[in-house]
Amino acid sequence: MDKYDAVVIGAGNGGLVAAIRLLQGGAKVLVVEKHNLPGGFATSFRRGRFEFEASLHELNDFGPADNGGDVRALFDSLGVTDKIEWTPIPEAYRVIARKEKLDVTMPFGVKAFIDKMEKEVPGSRLSTERFFQLADDTRAAQKYTNERNGVVESSVMVKEYGNYVRTGSYSVNEVLDSIRMPKKAQDILRAYWCYLGAHCDDLSFSHYASMVIRYISRGAMMPKMRSHEISLALCERIRELGGEIWFNTEAVKIETGADGGVEGVILDDGRRIVTRHVVANCSPLVVYGRMMDGVPEKIVRATNARKLAGRGFTMFLGLNKSADELGIENHNYFLYDTMDSAAQYEIMKKIDTNEVQATVCLNRAYPECSPPGTSMMYFTTLYMSDDWGNVKPEDYAKTKEKVANKMIDRFERDTGAKIRDSIEEISVATPMTYARYCGHPEGGIYGYESQYWDGLNPRLQMMAHDHMTRGLRFAGGFAMRLSGYSSAYFSGDISGRQTVGDIKKEG
Amino acid sequence: MAYKFKRQIFGFMDLLRFKKMVPTREKMLAEGSAEPLPKTFSVNETAKILHPGTRKVKLAEIRDETHDIKTFVFETFAPSMFRAGQYVSLRARIGGSVVSRPYAISSSPFDALRGNKVAVTIKRAGFFSEWMCDNAALGDEFELGDPSGDFFHDGVRDSRRVLGIAGGSGITPFFSMAQAIAEGSEDFELTLLYGAKTVKDLAFKDRLDALCGDKFKVVYVLSDEKKDGFEHGFITAELISKFAQGDFTVMMCGPQVMYDFAEKELAKIGVTGARRVRKEANCVSTRDVKPQEFKLRVHIRDEAFDIKADARETLLTAMERAGLKVPSKCRAGGCGFCHSRLIDGKYSIAGADKRRLADVKFGFVHPCCTYPDSDMEIEVPRG
Repeated sequence: MDKYDAVVIGAGNGGLVAAIRLLQGGAKVLVVEKHNLPGGFATSFRRGRFEFEASLHELNDFGPADNGGDVRALFDSLGVTDKIEWTPIPEAYRVIARKEKLDVTMPFGVKAFIDKMEKEVPGSRLSTERFFQLADDTRAAQKYTNERNGVVESSVMVKEYGNYVRTGSYSVNEVLDSIRMPKKAQDILRAYWCYLGAHCDDLSFSHYASMVIRYISRGAMMPKMRSHEISLALCERIRELGGEIWFNTEAVKIETGADGGVEGVILDDGRRIVTRHVVANCSPLVVYGRMMDGVPEKIVRATNARKLAGRGFTMFLGLNKSADELGIENHNYFLYDTMDSAAQYEIMKKIDTNEVQATVCLNRAYPECSPPGTSMMYFTTLYMSDDWGNVKPEDYAKTKEKVANKMIDRFERDTGAKIRDSIEEISVATPMTYARYCGHPEGGIYGYESQYWDGLNPRLQMMAHDHMTRGLRFAGGFAMRLSGYSSAYFSGDISGRQTVGDIKKEG
Repeated sequence: MAYKFKRQIFGFMDLLRFKKMVPTREKMLAEGSAEPLPKTFSVNETAKILHPGTRKVKLAEIRDETHDIKTFVFETFAPSMFRAGQYVSLRARIGGSVVSRPYAISSSPFDALRGNKVAVTIKRAGFFSEWMCDNAALGDEFELGDPSGDFFHDGVRDSRRVLGIAGGSGITPFFSMAQAIAEGSEDFELTLLYGAKTVKDLAFKDRLDALCGDKFKVVYVLSDEKKDGFEHGFITAELISKFAQGDFTVMMCGPQVMYDFAEKELAKIGVTGARRVRKEANCVSTRDVKPQEFKLRVHIRDEAFDIKADARETLLTAMERAGLKVPSKCRAGGCGFCHSRLIDGKYSIAGADKRRLADVKFGFVHPCCTYPDSDMEIEVPRG
């Protein structure tokens, strides 16, 4: 019987969570995934004696059992928390910026963070405290919005979540200026911006603040067996609940009926699955551009209006010496040219100029992640334009190598560690790699950019408006919670639950 | 008292700005272009050339290289690109079975990119290679997998100077590398020690000789024949030292016995460890146990198949014999392409366990390197 209550297209973070929510709501569910593995970017791969994490730097807002965050609460309710073995991340980050001559390591814990900030920037205490209060108010408001699926009472918002509403229309920099945070403290606090991929004049305060507090207040966690452990745990849960997952199976068409709504899904072998509900864990550009016919002009315009966010590049190194021997001191590094994020954003547009990196040495969180006497690192950057689109196939390997070499040089010069002569395994993922595995336009890894007008707040408030095709909802980095692990999980939670509601309404 | 944020002179103006966000976004979305949505993007199109996936190809040329080695050139109909040294999986339907084998590509990257041609070179050695040598005919259709594997020169890690050690048909990736260096798609210096029994067992000899230059040298090492102009014996520490000094990367492709021997010799001159000694993996073969027939139930999507599995053969071989189309790439346990879920049964793994940690925990196996030790039930993605 090729008939399902719902089909989830793509077994990425959002799709897997949506599938569990649908199953918990009593739906008969099929997940189709074009790759042979689940997780999308949430996976791992082996090279020699190393198993590399493909993308996760650390999972925020999880927290320990006695101080669980929203992600832990979500995983608890999905029934997967205990299927995964977690290890805590030691410190928040070390940020190094050349122009400002900044080199600061920041701890987890709001109090510890504020204390450290005061030590680095005397006189910053009050503004940093205010930042965290605003961030906490923002998080609470988002939790309320989530629970209400975006349908919120204006009066409740203003009364209960006033600071969220008052800051909600401003950029990161506008709010930091308003709370009179000293410039150096702002620089230190802005370190995470590249995780969201829009610069701080454009990026909404709500989005940034809610991420920072999710990291700082409850610490971050890492699954010991890399993110592949989370992805397999979610798959196991789907099967326990009676769901099906078909790998190496690409959905190529979504069929629509007279009302323009979903009637079925066509797979790459021509097989037709009857369903009236799809959760698409992929880009609207792919869905509306390639998978659907007769897309209304309103949707075409809305899809064309949006801006693709950063395109990914990651270098993975397996090193034949320990982190101690190599002088790698920290788990999580941000290396910038400048903390002026708007200027930095411009520099990140070109392959030749971009030297920004967010770098992780997993051994600093989990020493046993690689064999004794070895260590493992991954170095990630983002390109803020489609410059990789200009790279020809014959120049591809050379270009990859050039960027990889720059990353190593930069890391060695900025941190003093010596890694080049200890490389045993190396693998490099470019926008082409991300395009190949996940099919995202231009090899983007961050969905649509969190630019001012298309930021987190308007997206959350416009969930109903953005639901423009009956039976079709989106999950993952292109959806209403924007990109990142926790955001993708939440988007799957929202779209999954909303689809359960849609199914129930149809009776 | 809790802090109350205010930016505008009058606090209600902050609220008004908030309220405007929705109409602003509505307007921006409505003002997007009405042009048809783009179907694809430059990066995504380049990705298709770099990783073409499984392709239908046509056999365009067959060349005899030696008495038991042949080259098969395939027309791929579209450009593709790979790193010299990589392999492809070649798949054919033989009788009732769907069989595939990984072979190192013996042609050059630019042949693939600019001429839509990919060649593999096969030595008669088993079921599939014999079938290819005896039955494959011009114009026949095959499936060719994605160029794969990390047996290629990595300019970041590897020394610019590479000592290649080839045994028998292990010459094929090096032949591709030599052509790649000549055409400029790879840039390193390769000195190749090519071991074979006798002169008549050397494949590509004339073309290798013609490719020699500043960046490429070849030394033939004959084990069973003494001849002027050829080294005689095995690839010893002494021979290696004669052709490579200082910092160099060793790349080896050949049978396991060759690896064992060469690694001992390399250790004598202090060259050890995976950073400087790279080996291409070999396919898993049968295991030496008593024949025993087990039942194997295979789930592929919503279908189930009951087939037989022999204790001596891998689960992948059992499925191919039964005519099931299942994923297969490296056949050495490492690439994970055949990643399958174990539902029930006992098994053994050939060689080192190369699975991901979470795969072991959640019960996944790689059928290409897994032998059944009982009746088994597995779920396999479709091939």
